[in-house]
Amino acid sequence: MRSVSKARVWLGLPVLLAGVGLVLSFPSLAPNPYLLSVGIVVLNYAVLSTAWNFMGGFTGYISLGHGALAGLGAYGTALLITKAGMPSFAALFAATAIVALLAIPLGFAALRVRGASFVIVSIALVLILLLVFQSWASLTGGSSGLVVPRPFPQLLRPEHHRVFYYLFAGLLALALLCWWLIDRSRFGLGLKAVREDEDKAESLGTPTFAYKLVIFTVSAAFTALGGGLYALWFGDLDPVFQFSILSGAYMVLMALLGGVRNLFGPVLGALIVGIGLEYFKVEYGNTPLHLVASGLLLAVVVMFMPDGVIPSVSNVFGRFFQPTRASIREVSAEQLREEARR
Amino acid sequence: MPSGGLLLQSVVLGLLLGGLYALLAAGLTLYFGIMRVVMIAHSAFLILAAYVAWWFNVRTGLDPLLSLAGTVPLFFVTGVAMQRLLLARLRPATLTMMSVLLTFAIALFIEGMLGYLFTGTQRRIQLAYSASSLDLFGARIAVVKLIAFGLAGAALLGLYLLLKHSRFGWALRATIQHRDAARLAGIDTDRVAGYGFGLGLATAAIGGTALALDATVYPSLHWHWIGPLMAIIVVGGLGSIPGAAIAAMVLGMAQSLLQIPLGTTWAQTVFYLALFATLALRPQGFFGGRLAQRF
Repeated sequence: MRSVSKARVWLGLPVLLAGVGLVLSFPSLAPNPYLLSVGIVVLNYAVLSTAWNFMGGFTGYISLGHGALAGLGAYGTALLITKAGMPSFAALFAATAIVALLAIPLGFAALRVRGASFVIVSIALVLILLLVFQSWASLTGGSSGLVVPRPFPQLLRPEHHRVFYYLFAGLLALALLCWWLIDRSRFGLGLKAVREDEDKAESLGTPTFAYKLVIFTVSAAFTALGGGLYALWFGDLDPVFQFSILSGAYMVLMALLGGVRNLFGPVLGALIVGIGLEYFKVEYGNTPLHLVASGLLLAVVVMFMPDGVIPSVSNVFGRFFQPTRASIREVSAEQLREEARR
Repeated sequence: MPSGGLLLQSVVLGLLLGGLYALLAAGLTLYFGIMRVVMIAHSAFLILAAYVAWWFNVRTGLDPLLSLAGTVPLFFVTGVAMQRLLLARLRPATLTMMSVLLTFAIALFIEGMLGYLFTGTQRRIQLAYSASSLDLFGARIAVVKLIAFGLAGAALLGLYLLLKHSRFGWALRATIQHRDAARLAGIDTDRVAGYGFGLGLATAAIGGTALALDATVYPSLHWHWIGPLMAIIVVGGLGSIPGAAIAAMVLGMAQSLLQIPLGTTWAQTVFYLALFATLALRPQGFFGGRLAQRF
């Protein structure tokens, strides 16, 4: 086992360095500001999807409502700037703190029972917030939108993109680092125990409810940071897009497609889905066909590769490079039992 | 204080709306009872049925109610196929979560296809009796709403009789209560589960036709339905059909009454407030049994 993990480090390190190099040099390589803005959108997706993966990956609780948390971060940032006169980045962090605080009562209601109710609450959250933010026009500008003042008014458009590209890249690095640290901690082990068998984890003394609540708060905070940073970059908010169930679904799709148990799974998923979405926008404009395509892709992922492309691909490679792999697979006792039953 | 007539009208409208909610929530509860599936696409099928009714009316000029003869069997078969070919093939360990995503994907697909085929334009059926209404002690009740309620009520009654008094209903309820025990008793639970799913989707066909009679439909309308419906099944207690029906009537009535002081938009929040309050105070719902406590 030891030599295998060592080999993985030696294989992984150059790949990781190459990836970081590519991400950092992309702004100089991108031939025009449009492509740079696509890069920012993809990075934003990667941040949000990684943030989602704190909850979805570790505990297996699937939230379709993270789009609403990002929207709250965005609107919180924008309102703190315009109504309270705060400086841009102070507003971003204040909004993040507010969303994290809001996540506690939300998580309290959503996490007391198991999965099904959690999903229902997460969807309800999006729908109720959309309703509130559209109707409360005196505060949020309603359907006509809300303009967010730029944090760097002196910068020209390409430089503005470039600055935000690196801000998003930094945020992504921070989120990945946190995920990696939790993944190797005792806390992370407890969360995974919740994913595998919540009853057993509880009976063995894991404080499952507290763990779930903490990770939900962390996940909400990162999501709000991503949403708030997007608001500062994009500069214009519309409730229909901020509180859309679709944006939450994209986070799930990206994470699942890449693989929720892998650190870089959501990033890979964001790369594939993000570029795909941009391509669709260019090719087909605003037809509802992107809904059809997203639906089909999500269905294919759920039906045929619920563990994501990284495990599927690495399984294929594993057959070539590590024929004498350890036989211990990461499956739960319940899955094995059910496989045996079939 | 609103006038008596207005109040009475709201009560009657709430009752009528609650009937439709009850039918649709009963379908959702069936899916959940059978295989612990939160069927997000339920309301998308509802809108699909409404579109079929509208399209049938535009094409043939016949009464949209006649489209039921086509949609109900079609939806039943679709439901059986969905259960047998898609949902039953998911990993049992992660079924609840993955089925949410799968049905969500189906909902997106339906919404996208409706938007593509019929564009996002709002559609409404024009009928000879669309504008006629009944006067009831100062309350004006549209005839189409009464027909919709009658349809929903009849379907709900039919569902109740089927579940309580037919052999298939016994088998289905046994499957819901304890799958392994039902299989030991000689019930082909897989087939029964498939038919149960078909039955759930058939409620969406009836509900959709009822909806098409007096509502304007557009492809993304289903999001406005799935939220209240899911709130209803949680408040009623996941898996309990009577619970869902009672919660549907109470919340439908509350929505209708709250429209007087708050307006239509804010009145919708009552569903979500009830949902959060239920989960915080009584997570298993108000009429849920043992089943609801675990989900």
